[in-house]
Amino acid sequence: MTAIQIIFILSALVILGAAVMVVSTRNLVHAALYLVATLFGVAVLYAILDATFLTVVQVVVYIGAIAILFIFAIMLTRREMRDQGEQLNKGWGAAALIGLLTFGGLFMLLNNWRGVNATAAALPSGFDGVVELGTALVSTDAFVLPFEVASVLLLAALIGAVYVAGTKK
Amino acid sequence: MTFWSDPINFVAQWLRDVFTGWGWNPGLANAITLLLGALVLILFAMLLDIFLVWVERKVVARFQDRLGPNRIGPFGIFQPFADIVKLIIKEDITPAGADKLVYNLAPILSLTSVLLLWAILPLAATIYGTDLNVALLYLVAAGSLGTLSIIMAGWSSNNKYALLGAFRMVAAMVSYEIPMVVALLIPTIITGSMSVKEITLAQGDGGVWFFIAAPLATVIFLISAIAELGRSPFDLNEAESEIVAGFHIEYTGMKFGLFYAGELLHAFTFGGFLAILFFGGYRFFGLENLHPFVGAIIFLVKALIGYWVIMWVKYTVPRIRIDHMLGFNWKFLTPLSLVVLMVTAVLNQVLAGTETWVYALVMFLANVVIGWLTLEALRAYSRSQRKAEEPAVESVAQAAQH
Amino acid sequence: MNPTTFAAILPEVLLLVLGILILVVEPFWKEKDRRNTGWLTFGGLLAILVVSLLAGRPGEPTSVFGGTIRFDWLGFFFKMLFIFAAAMTSLFMMDVEKLGRRGESYLLLLASTLGMNLMASASDLVMLYLAIETTSIPLYVLSGFIVDDEKSTESGFKYLLFGAMTSAVMLYGFSLLFGFTGTTNLYEIAAAVAGAQVSTVTALGVIALVLVGIGFKVSLVPFHFWAPDTYEGAPTPVAGFLSTASKAAGFAVLVRLFFIAFAKNGLAPDWTTGLAALATLTMTLGNLVAMTQTNIKRLLAYSSIAHAGYVMIGVVAFSNLGVTSVVFYLIAYILTNLAAFGIVAVFSRVAGSDKISDYAGLSRRSPWLAMAMLVAFLSLAGMPPFGGFVAKVFVFAAAVKSDLVWLAVVGVINSILGVYYYLTVLKVVYLYRMEGEAEESHPIPLTRPYGIALVVLSLGVLLIGTLFAPWFSASGAAALNLF
Repeated sequence: MTAIQIIFILSALVILGAAVMVVSTRNLVHAALYLVATLFGVAVLYAILDATFLTVVQVVVYIGAIAILFIFAIMLTRREMRDQGEQLNKGWGAAALIGLLTFGGLFMLLNNWRGVNATAAALPSGFDGVVELGTALVSTDAFVLPFEVASVLLLAALIGAVYVAGTKK
Repeated sequence: MTFWSDPINFVAQWLRDVFTGWGWNPGLANAITLLLGALVLILFAMLLDIFLVWVERKVVARFQDRLGPNRIGPFGIFQPFADIVKLIIKEDITPAGADKLVYNLAPILSLTSVLLLWAILPLAATIYGTDLNVALLYLVAAGSLGTLSIIMAGWSSNNKYALLGAFRMVAAMVSYEIPMVVALLIPTIITGSMSVKEITLAQGDGGVWFFIAAPLATVIFLISAIAELGRSPFDLNEAESEIVAGFHIEYTGMKFGLFYAGELLHAFTFGGFLAILFFGGYRFFGLENLHPFVGAIIFLVKALIGYWVIMWVKYTVPRIRIDHMLGFNWKFLTPLSLVVLMVTAVLNQVLAGTETWVYALVMFLANVVIGWLTLEALRAYSRSQRKAEEPAVESVAQAAQH
Repeated sequence: MNPTTFAAILPEVLLLVLGILILVVEPFWKEKDRRNTGWLTFGGLLAILVVSLLAGRPGEPTSVFGGTIRFDWLGFFFKMLFIFAAAMTSLFMMDVEKLGRRGESYLLLLASTLGMNLMASASDLVMLYLAIETTSIPLYVLSGFIVDDEKSTESGFKYLLFGAMTSAVMLYGFSLLFGFTGTTNLYEIAAAVAGAQVSTVTALGVIALVLVGIGFKVSLVPFHFWAPDTYEGAPTPVAGFLSTASKAAGFAVLVRLFFIAFAKNGLAPDWTTGLAALATLTMTLGNLVAMTQTNIKRLLAYSSIAHAGYVMIGVVAFSNLGVTSVVFYLIAYILTNLAAFGIVAVFSRVAGSDKISDYAGLSRRSPWLAMAMLVAFLSLAGMPPFGGFVAKVFVFAAAVKSDLVWLAVVGVINSILGVYYYLTVLKVVYLYRMEGEAEESHPIPLTRPYGIALVVLSLGVLLIGTLFAPWFSASGAAALNLF
């Protein structure tokens, strides 16, 4: 077992464990903090894959912005941080069944793919993912249009959010 | 590679050889060596931190026309050790109703977020943690962990003042992150890389220190760094007159010490980044080529100067109101930084391939023009504000007469 | 950037310019003039339509922008449809309270239209996903636009929750597809599938995941739950836009994605069988549930679910004629359903109710409105000489030609079911009287924008049903780009 594998298993355990805690803990702020742990674990996975840019962006965007926003929203809207209701509703059996079936299906799907056991090829030396990504995002032969459309999407979402939040009820 | 020319890497290589000599596999040996390296770096930072406590106390005393610590050791230099002893023997109080785990985790995370920054800080050409190709984003990412630690501390203390302080701090940090990121982008554009090492190199042979090519970015970075640190004039998070001490109000003993140490080290680290991004880092007219340690000393001196500027601002500028602070960011700093970014990007493309001095001169002049236009706009705005206020003042005076 | 590249995104660029124009101009208008934003949007969209038709026509299908966009007749045809639908919707929106005088609503409409345009022409998974989100997010806000109305808020929120969930599943499918083939370009994916890089089982699994997202967009049966609640609560013109343009965009994606990426390597028979089953379910459930509705918007919602089933027949046929019939059906359906929702908007603005029973006496209160309703509902029911009839004939013909007689029979039976509830509504409109009141004292005034839109749409429905040859050949030209 290589060091990478050990790190992978550890971070996978953190991701899954924290993810279970996100949905099972009764304390909402704790749920948000467990979510941070999950997202951080994902950042570690990116780091293992040599995707430095994604790693850092994952931390900046998900922990620095989204998780903070969650915590703010919880604190500003809830008087009681503890969830008192039933944690499972009547449909939990069916939901568990569907979840298991989906998992089984996806497992089979991936198992059927011949690349599942392949080792990732090493990156060529001198490969700089940031430069490649940056060039691809602004080159007309690649992803400049999606890049620009993303800004339109964000503009529309911003205007929508300002409208919904700013309109007097 | 000899010990003289490159001591750090020499020692690392020697350690690797020793470990593999013991029959360990090379991967493990490498991992342990790196771990030891990280440990040494952290130890160095923490020792520096102790020194910083003394610096801070001494400097603030001078600003306030006092002497500062002068009893223990020459110039009171051993005062921090007395402080540490005091902090350690204090009673460790966890308030009733506090969220224990989160409460205890917060100070650790706070210091961690600062120590993480040291991984990318090049002390000299061959002394650095790692050369990350996204180093500047990493800086922002570590800052967001700091934000998280503050909100954790504020919430888990079960104290309204703490929560208010945390809210203020996080609001400020999240907003000032934007001009900071934009200011970071300007050295990136000039260099063409986000790597801190590349940025330092670009300010050496055949380049200028970036504060000449990007003076406005330097100022914007400094302002947003101070806001990110939560230091005066942006220290709303601990505004003593309103919320006592803000997010760390409930922390006692060494837990408080961690926050305090984190803050000082953070300020110093930002001084260091100021030096790296805009003042040539460990470079000083070829002097750094003598020996890596000379480079490190140059870097530390520059960082100390940056730190001193931050302290200077802290102890001379009074605190401003939270709405003014956020308004200043969103209505002034962010637009200004975006304008500077656009101008820099365009000029960088236009000036590609020109002589260094032409490049630097045009960039500098462009910054001067932007700065002048900004000041003119501000002047016009405040004039119109005054005009709008004058009649109001008169009517109030009239009302008072009646 | 050469002219072809620019022409490929001409409508989108113009839409963005129009949106920014509105954003800049609207704040300078006084409160009472804000309604003019609607006229500006309408005029701008018409201008875009004309300019695009003159200067933005595609020639031979080409991939532009590094293969993220396919510039062909299929995309162009759908784009023109969406712009037309948005223009009509902007007319309908103008006199809706709390919607028509807000610049944001028109801006969101334009952003959504821009997204749809890109959905119709995207040939890259990244582009496609962003286009779908650009379409959806403004629509979430538009559905919940009337923030002090609980129904509207509920509508927007339900739409958002379902949309977010299904798009996450679809995105997972996309990511698997990228992982399996190593590319996001549809044509390269098609090559990878054809080269048997992906086994049938994996491909079908991916198809199932992707279908969840698209099924949501077109309200296919297991993913249709949002439709009635959203349509009921959303402002009526928005509901109309959702049920027509948004659905058509879903189908545009469906045909392009499935016919290009998953057509090779013997995959088609597998997924067409699945889609045939879904089509049957969709038609039957939509029509059966529609019969019991008392709210006209819910009735139209279920009817639009059923119509998604009819369109699906054309997809299942998996032939040139099939796609032609899909495109043709969508033209007829967009015109008809926009008219239907427009009429509902006019009525509820005056009467303040969406109950079917309140439509009693409409023929006396406003004969012209009742006339428009007759046209729209008969077309929905599939009666000659209206557009809906011809469209259904083509769809069923495509099914029969592809040896799917049973599916055509199911479709015909369902159409008969549909006739029942459409005629029930018309019965209330024409034969029932308002109780104890003189209808003449309760007229339903038509404002100018409503008048223009309804006249255009009703004539359009009639035109498509009678002079269908040019439309059919245009649809055929569009369909040809897939084979």
